[in-house]
Amino acid sequence: MKNDTPKVFKSIFALFVVAIFMIGLFYAFVSMPKGWGVNVNNRVSRLYILKNVRTATRLLDSGKFFAKGMKPLRAEVPYKPIKFKKTANLEDGAANVVTSIVVDYRGFDTLGEVTVLFLAASGVMMLLFGKRVKPKRKKTEPSLIMYVGTRIAFAVIFLFGIYIFVHGHLTPGGGFPGGAVIASGILGLFLGRNGYTPNHAGLKVFESLSGIAFVIIGLIGLFSVKSFLANFLPTGIIGNLYSAGFISLIYIAIGMKVGSELAAVVDSMIGDTKEEWS
Amino acid sequence: MIIYVATIVVIVIIITSLIAVFSKKLLSSIISMGLVSLGVSGLFFFLQAPDVAITEAAIGAGLSTAIFVIALKKVKKGETKDEE
Repeated sequence: MKNDTPKVFKSIFALFVVAIFMIGLFYAFVSMPKGWGVNVNNRVSRLYILKNVRTATRLLDSGKFFAKGMKPLRAEVPYKPIKFKKTANLEDGAANVVTSIVVDYRGFDTLGEVTVLFLAASGVMMLLFGKRVKPKRKKTEPSLIMYVGTRIAFAVIFLFGIYIFVHGHLTPGGGFPGGAVIASGILGLFLGRNGYTPNHAGLKVFESLSGIAFVIIGLIGLFSVKSFLANFLPTGIIGNLYSAGFISLIYIAIGMKVGSELAAVVDSMIGDTKEEWS
Repeated sequence: MIIYVATIVVIVIIITSLIAVFSKKLLSSIISMGLVSLGVSGLFFFLQAPDVAITEAAIGAGLSTAIFVIALKKVKKGETKDEE
C-alpha cells in the first residue's frame, strides 16, 4: 500500500483485517471440543493430575472418580499410596511434577522454547555485530571491593545455578532458571572489571554442543522406545538423585545452553562495537 | 497473616507499575519495572508456584533490568555524538 493513499482507506483496510481475525477466533472458539469431549485419560492419567492423594483414593474406592465409559490409563495396575524414598516408578519417577510435565510429557514444546531463545539471541548478536573498538574516553575503574566481591560471588552464584538445574527433578527449578542465574553471575564479572571478555570460543562450543545433545537424546528415544524424546532410562525411586530417567540429562543440556546464550547476549550488549553495515 | 503480606505486595506492585508508566526519567521507570518483577515473583511464591518464582526473579528482576540499563546507556551515548 502506497503512502499517498487516503487515511480512510487505510483505516477501513485495518478494520477489515481485524474483523477477519476476530471472526476466525470466534469460529475457533465456538467449534472447539467441549471439556467432556476430550478424553484426558488418553494423555495423562488422572491420578497424576490430582494433587491430593487422599481425595483420589476416596473417590477411587467409591467409584465416582472416573466418568461413565472411561477407564484410567493404567487400570490393570492396582493403586498404591505414594511414599517418598520408597515408591518406585510412579509415572516417571520425578518428585517435582512440574519438571516431569515440562520435560517428559511436553518435551517437544521445550525443544521449541529453546529454539525461540536461540533465535532471539542470534538476532541480538546480528544487530550488534561489528568490530570491537576501544572507548575514546577512559572509563572509571570500579573499586577494589567491587572487583574482589564479584569474583567471590561468581563462584557461589555459579554453583547455585548448577544446583538448580541438576536438582530440577527433585526441587523447584530447572534448566531455564539455572541458566539465567549463571548468566547473571557472568554479568557480575562484567561489572567488576573494565574490559572483561569471556572466552568466546568456549561459549560457542558449549552452546552448540548442548543443543546437539538435546536433539541426540530425543533421537535415542525415537530409536529405542519408538517415540521422539521418550524416556529410555530406568526411573528409579522417588527422591533419589539418580531417578526420573533422562530428565536431569536434558536439564543439564538446557541449562548449559541457556547460560551460554544469555552470557553471549550480555557480552554483545555491553561491548563497544563499530558498525560495519555495507 | 499471609493475606496481609500479599495485599501489601500487590499495592507495591500497582504503585511501582504506575511509576514505570508515568515517570519522566527512563532510568527510574526501568528500576521500578525491576521492582514490579520482584513483587510478582514474591506473589508467585505465595501462590505455590516456586518454579515460576525462581525464573521471574532471575530473568525479570535480574537480567532484563541490567540489559535495559545497558541499552539506555548506549542510546544516550549515540544522542550526544549526534549533537557534537
